[in-house]
Amino acid sequence: MTLLAIEDLSVVIHGRGRQVAALSGVTLSVGSGEVVGLVGESGGGKSMVARSIVGLLPGGSQASGHVFFDGSDVLAMGRAELESFRGRGAAICFQNPRGALSPTRTVGRQLVDRLLTHQKLSPDQAREVAAELFESVGIRSPKRRLAAYPHELSGGMAQRVMISLATGCAPGLLIADEPTTGLDVTLTREILARFRQAADAEGRGVLLISHDLASIAEVCDRVVVLYAGTVVETGPVARVLTEPAHPYTRALLRSVPDLDGRPVAVTPGSMPLLREAPGSCPFAQRCTDSSERCTAERPMARLITGEWSTACFHPKTGSLAERVHGLDDIAHARHLEQAEYPLRIGEAPSGEPSGEIEAPGKAATTGGAPYRTEVVDAREVLRVEDAHVVYGSRFGGGGHHALRGVGLSVAAGETLGVVGESGCGKSTLARLMLGLQAPTRGRVEVAGRDLAKVRGAELRRLRTRVQLVFQDPIGSLSPRRTVADAIGEPLRAAGVPAAEREARVRAALERMELDASILERRPHELSGGQAQRVGIARALVGEPDLIVFDEPTSALDVTVQAQILKVIAEVTSDPSRGAVFISHDLATVRGFCDRVVVLYLGRIVEEGPVESVFGDPRHPYTRALLSSAPSLGRGFAGAGVTLTRDLEETDAARGCALAPRCPFSVPACAEREQELRDHGGSRVACHRAADIPGLIELIER
Amino acid sequence: MRVLRFVLRRLLQLVPVLLGVVILTFLLVRVLPGDPIKTILGPNASEADAAAARARFGLDQPLWQQFLDYLGGLVTGDFGTSIQSGGAVASEMAVRLGPTLELVVIALIIALVIATVLGIWSARRAGGAGDHTVRVGALVGNSVPEFWLGLVLILVVYSVLGWAPAPSGRVDPDTNLSLITGADLLDAALTANGPAFLSALHHLMLPVATLVIVIVAPLLRSVRASALEVLRSEAYTAAATHGLRDRLLLRGYLLRATLARLPALAALVFGFAIGSTVLIEYVFSWQGFGQWALRGLLFRDYPVVQASVLVIALLYVLVFLIADVVQAILDPRVRI
Amino acid sequence: MARTARTKERFASSLIVVGSAILITVVLAALFAPLLSSWGPEEIDPAASLAAPGGAHLLGTDLNGMDVWSRVLYAARLDLGVAVASVALAVVAGSLIGLVAGYRGGLLDDALMRVLDIFQAFPTFILALAVAALLGGGVANLIAVVALVNAPAYARLVRAEVRAIRDLPFVEAARTSGSSTWSVLWRHVLPNSLTPVRVIAPLNCGWAMLTLAGLSFLGLGIPTPEAEWGAMISLGAGDVVAGRWWTSVPPGLCLLICVLGFSLLGEGLQERADSKRR
Repeated sequence: MTLLAIEDLSVVIHGRGRQVAALSGVTLSVGSGEVVGLVGESGGGKSMVARSIVGLLPGGSQASGHVFFDGSDVLAMGRAELESFRGRGAAICFQNPRGALSPTRTVGRQLVDRLLTHQKLSPDQAREVAAELFESVGIRSPKRRLAAYPHELSGGMAQRVMISLATGCAPGLLIADEPTTGLDVTLTREILARFRQAADAEGRGVLLISHDLASIAEVCDRVVVLYAGTVVETGPVARVLTEPAHPYTRALLRSVPDLDGRPVAVTPGSMPLLREAPGSCPFAQRCTDSSERCTAERPMARLITGEWSTACFHPKTGSLAERVHGLDDIAHARHLEQAEYPLRIGEAPSGEPSGEIEAPGKAATTGGAPYRTEVVDAREVLRVEDAHVVYGSRFGGGGHHALRGVGLSVAAGETLGVVGESGCGKSTLARLMLGLQAPTRGRVEVAGRDLAKVRGAELRRLRTRVQLVFQDPIGSLSPRRTVADAIGEPLRAAGVPAAEREARVRAALERMELDASILERRPHELSGGQAQRVGIARALVGEPDLIVFDEPTSALDVTVQAQILKVIAEVTSDPSRGAVFISHDLATVRGFCDRVVVLYLGRIVEEGPVESVFGDPRHPYTRALLSSAPSLGRGFAGAGVTLTRDLEETDAARGCALAPRCPFSVPACAEREQELRDHGGSRVACHRAADIPGLIELIER
Repeated sequence: MRVLRFVLRRLLQLVPVLLGVVILTFLLVRVLPGDPIKTILGPNASEADAAAARARFGLDQPLWQQFLDYLGGLVTGDFGTSIQSGGAVASEMAVRLGPTLELVVIALIIALVIATVLGIWSARRAGGAGDHTVRVGALVGNSVPEFWLGLVLILVVYSVLGWAPAPSGRVDPDTNLSLITGADLLDAALTANGPAFLSALHHLMLPVATLVIVIVAPLLRSVRASALEVLRSEAYTAAATHGLRDRLLLRGYLLRATLARLPALAALVFGFAIGSTVLIEYVFSWQGFGQWALRGLLFRDYPVVQASVLVIALLYVLVFLIADVVQAILDPRVRI
Repeated sequence: MARTARTKERFASSLIVVGSAILITVVLAALFAPLLSSWGPEEIDPAASLAAPGGAHLLGTDLNGMDVWSRVLYAARLDLGVAVASVALAVVAGSLIGLVAGYRGGLLDDALMRVLDIFQAFPTFILALAVAALLGGGVANLIAVVALVNAPAYARLVRAEVRAIRDLPFVEAARTSGSSTWSVLWRHVLPNSLTPVRVIAPLNCGWAMLTLAGLSFLGLGIPTPEAEWGAMISLGAGDVVAGRWWTSVPPGLCLLICVLGFSLLGEGLQERADSKRR
C-alpha cells in the first residue's frame, strides 16, 4: 500500500542575488512496511525531499508538484492541517541527534511530550510507554536514562533517543536523515537494524537518507538515487547495487573503495549546482557515454522492469563487478580519462608489497640509500617510541590518557595506515608526529633527531620535514588568504625568494591538476575537492620527508573522494618520502598502504603488512572492525566478531582495553596489559591470539 | 549542597579581586591630585590649621600605617569617618543605599518582564513589521541619554501635565514616614503607612520609567536574539516537526532555553543600571547612594570614596555570582 | 517564510543607510557650523539671557546669553571627535593585549586577566566616573578615561577569539609550515579575530558619546563655556521645572540622534554579518 507518493516535486530556492533549483521533478513513493533508501552525494537534494514531506521548506523557496500522504497533498495543507499531520503522519529522525534534542529538557520529558501529543495516554501511562520505548531501541536502564539531559548522552545513545522520539509520535512514515553519520561501524549496524524493525514489526514506511549506499543497502527494499535534484535511478536494492543502469549510479558505486581491495574508478568533475530545472541530462558533462541527445534534451524516467526505472538515454546493463575488468571499460578509461586505477590488484600471498601498477617507483623503495642499517634498509623518516599523551586537567589529577605507549616507525617510500574508531587516539598521534603535541612520555624522532631536543628556528626547520593534510579541507586554509598564499606558506617560512616561490607553487598546482586561475581565490570560493588538492599541494611544495594524511577524504563526497584518493596514491608512491594515512574507513586504507596499525583506546592492538592484517586479522578487535564494515563487494571474507558493548560504556582501567567488550575475554585478560607479540606476519597484542580462530568456530557451531 | 559549595568557592575567589580593588582605590585616591583638607578648611586656612586637621583624620601617618588602620577597620565593619561631614561613613552609607537599590531593583524587574515578553513576541514574528518596530524601538532606547530623558519626562509629565510630583525628594514629608531601611516603599510597607506608600510610589514613577526605558533596550535585544537562535535551532525544529502544539513548544522548548542564556547579561545590565542611577538621582534629587558617592569623589573625601568604590564592586560581583547560580539552575549543561 | 532572506537583507541595508546618513549629516553640520549660524559658540549676547526661540536666536539663548543653535552645532565637533578617538584607542590597545594574552596563554595570560578582573569589578560608567573625577576633566583626559574603561572589553573579546582560532586547522597548518610565531599571529590569527570588533566598534562609539556627555552633565567632563551637549543639558536642567525646554531639549535630541546613527549602523553591520555566516 502506498503511503507516500511524491509526484513531480520541484523546489527552487531564491537566495541573495541567485537562485538554486534544489529539486527538479522528483517522483518517488514509499509503501507501508517498506524501507526505501534515498541516496546521492551532497547537493543532490536528499534533505530537501525530507523537508518537503513535513512541510519544512527553507525561507525563500518555492515548491511545485505534489507530496501525497495517504491521499492528501502536504504542500496544499493549511497551518492547522499541517500541525496535525506532522509527527503522526511523518516524523523525522534528524541527522545530528545531539543538536536535535532540546538541551534544557530531560529526554524523558521530550519523549513524553510526543507521546501525549499523538497518543491517547495518561501522563502515568506515557511515562511507562516511554521507558518501554527506550528499552526497545536498546537503551540500558531506561528508567534512569529518562531523567538524563541530552548533553549527558553519548552520540550513539542520543541517536537511539532520537529514534524513540520519532517512533513515539507513532508516525505512518519514519524519515531518517543520515542517521548514522559520526557513528562507529559497530553502532551503525545496530541503528540501521532498528529501522528495518520499524518497517517489519510496526508496519511503518521508512525513508532512509544516506550519502553512502553501501552502509544502508542491507536494510533497504528499494533505493532512489538523486543527482543534482533529479531522480536518476530507482529500483529494488539488489538490482541497483549489482547492475546499476544509470552511469551516475555506476560511478557512485565504483568510487567507493572496498575491503576486498577491488579497484576504484575515478569520475572527473563534480555535481553541478543548477539555477533552474535542467534542460538536458545533468550528468552529461561527466558521463563517458554522453551523446548529442544527452546535452540537448533531458531524459525522463523510463521503466526497465517492474519497479526499476532510470532517467538515461543509454542505460547500461550487466553486472558492475564483472565489468570492472571488462575490456570496454579499460578502452574507455584510456580514451576518456575516466581512469580506473587498480590501487592494488594482484592478491599478494605473503604480504610482500607487489603488484602495484600505478606505482612503479615503489619497487625502488628497498634499494634507497641506507641511512640506518638496523631494522629496515630504507632511510627511516619518523620514529615514535613508547609515546604517551595525557591531556591533563589544568590543576593536575585525572586527565585524559589519549595515547598509552605507542611505538612505530616509517621509512622513506613506505605508506603506513593507521585505523581505529573515533576516540582511539588517531588524531593525537597525527599531532604528535607533527610536533604540534609534545609526548608526555616517550620520544618522537623526525629524520633521526628528537623533536624535544631542538628549539627555535631549528625546530621550525625540522618541523617542515613533516607535513600534514587535514581532515577539514576548507578549515585548514586561512579564510582571508588566497590559494597562492596558502600553498606558498612553507616556502615563505623557509625564506624562498618570491620568484622561485611562484614557480614552485605553480608546479605544485599543476601536479594537483588544478588550473592557475584558482591562485587568487579564497577558501570559501573553493569546493571541498579543490580545497583538499590545495592542501596536498601545500604539503608537497616544501618537499618534506613525510606527509601525514589525517582522514583526508572523510569530509568529501564519494566521487570526489575517489579523485583525491587517486591523487594521494600518486603522492605516496614517491620513493623519496614516507607517508602516514590515518582513517576510520578501513577500505580506503587497504587501497594503498604497505603496513597497517590498528589503534584501540590509545594502544596499538595489531600491526602488520596490509595483506595479512586485512586478510587474516589476529586480534579480535581488528576482526570486529573488519566484519562490521559495510561493503558493496565481497567485503571481509573471514568469520566475523561482534563486540558486546558500545565503546562509550566501557572504560579501560586495567589490563587489556578491549576486555569489557570482547566476546573471548577471560579473567586473565583484565589482569595484565597486553604486549605486542609476533604472530605470523603481524604483531598482535592479545594473549589468546592463537586460539581466536578456533574460538570463533566454536561460537559459530 | 553543590550550589553552596560553589558559592563558597566563588566567594573565596572574590577575596583577591576585592583586595586588589581596596589597594588600588586607596593608592589612586591619594596619588592623584586633590586634597580633602583644603576643601573643608577653605583657601585661607593656615598651615597649622591644615596640619591639625590632617592629624585629626590620621593623614599625617605614613601611607602603610594608614592602610593598615584602614584594613583593620574594614575587618570590623568600620569604614572610617567622613572628612566632609564628620559622620561615620558606615551609617551614612546605610541610609543612602536603600533608596538606590529600591530604584534599581524595581526597574530591573519591570525591564526583565517587558524584555522577555516583547523579545519572544518579536522573535516569533522575525522579519515582520511588528518585529522591525520593536527592534528600532530598542535601538532608540539604547541611544537615549538617560539624564536627558529624565528631564524630558519632568518637562512633560510634571511641568506640562502636572501628573507627577516635583522632582525633589522620594516621599511626601507630610506622611511622617519613619526611616528603617531607607527604601521608602519598603519602609512604608513595614510600618503599614498607606499614604507614605502611595506617595513613594508616586515619586518613584518617573525615575523608574526613565531607568526602565534605558535598560530594557539591551535586555530586549538579547532576549530576541536568544529566542531567535532557539527558534532556528535544530532542537526546536525537531520538536515542531514532531507536531507538538504551540503552547507546549513555547513553554517547554522556547522559554527556558531562551532565558538560560540571559543571567550573565542581566548582571551586566544591573551594573549599567547602577551607572545610570547616578545620573538619574542627580536629575530627580533622589539623595541616594550615587549622589553621596559622587560628592565624596568631588571633594576627595577619602573614606567615602574608598567605601563607595568597595561597596559597588562587592555588589556587582555578588550580582554576577547570583547570575551564575541562576544560569546553572536554568541550563542543565552548566556545571557548578 | 518566503520573504525572510530578502527582507532581512533589505532591513540590514536600510539600517546601514539610515545610520550612515545620520552620521554624515552630523559631520557635515559640525564642519559647516560657521556657515549655519551667525553666532559664535561662546559668544555672549548681553541683551538676551534665556531668550525664547525665534527672532535673533533660532533656538533661543541659555542662562549665559549664548546662542543655543550655534552651540549645538559646534558641540558635535567635540562629542564626535572624543568618541571616535577614544574608541580607536581602546580597540588598538585592547586588541593587542587580547592577542598576546590569548595566543601565549600561561602566566602572562593569567596575570593580564586578573588585572582585567579588577577593572570588570565595576560597571563601566561608574569606573569612568571615578577615574574622571580623580583625574580631572578636559578633552585629553576624557579620551583616555573612555578608552581605559572600554579597552578591557576588547581585550577579552579578542582573547576569546584568538583562543578559539589558535587551535583551528588553518593555524596549525601555518605552524607546521614552519612559519614563525609573529608571522602566524599577524597573517592568520589577527585578521580573523577582529571580526566581532568590527561590528562592536560603531555601537561602542555611540556608548562613548553617552559616557562623555554623562560625565559632562555631572560636571566632570568638558567645562563650560566650551560647547558640549552634556554640559549644555546640565546648564539647562534647572529650566525644565519652569517649563523652559529650549536650553536642554535640543542638545539632548542631537545627542540622541547621533548615538542612534551609530546604533543603526552597528545593528545593520551585525545583521549583515549574521546573514553571511548562515
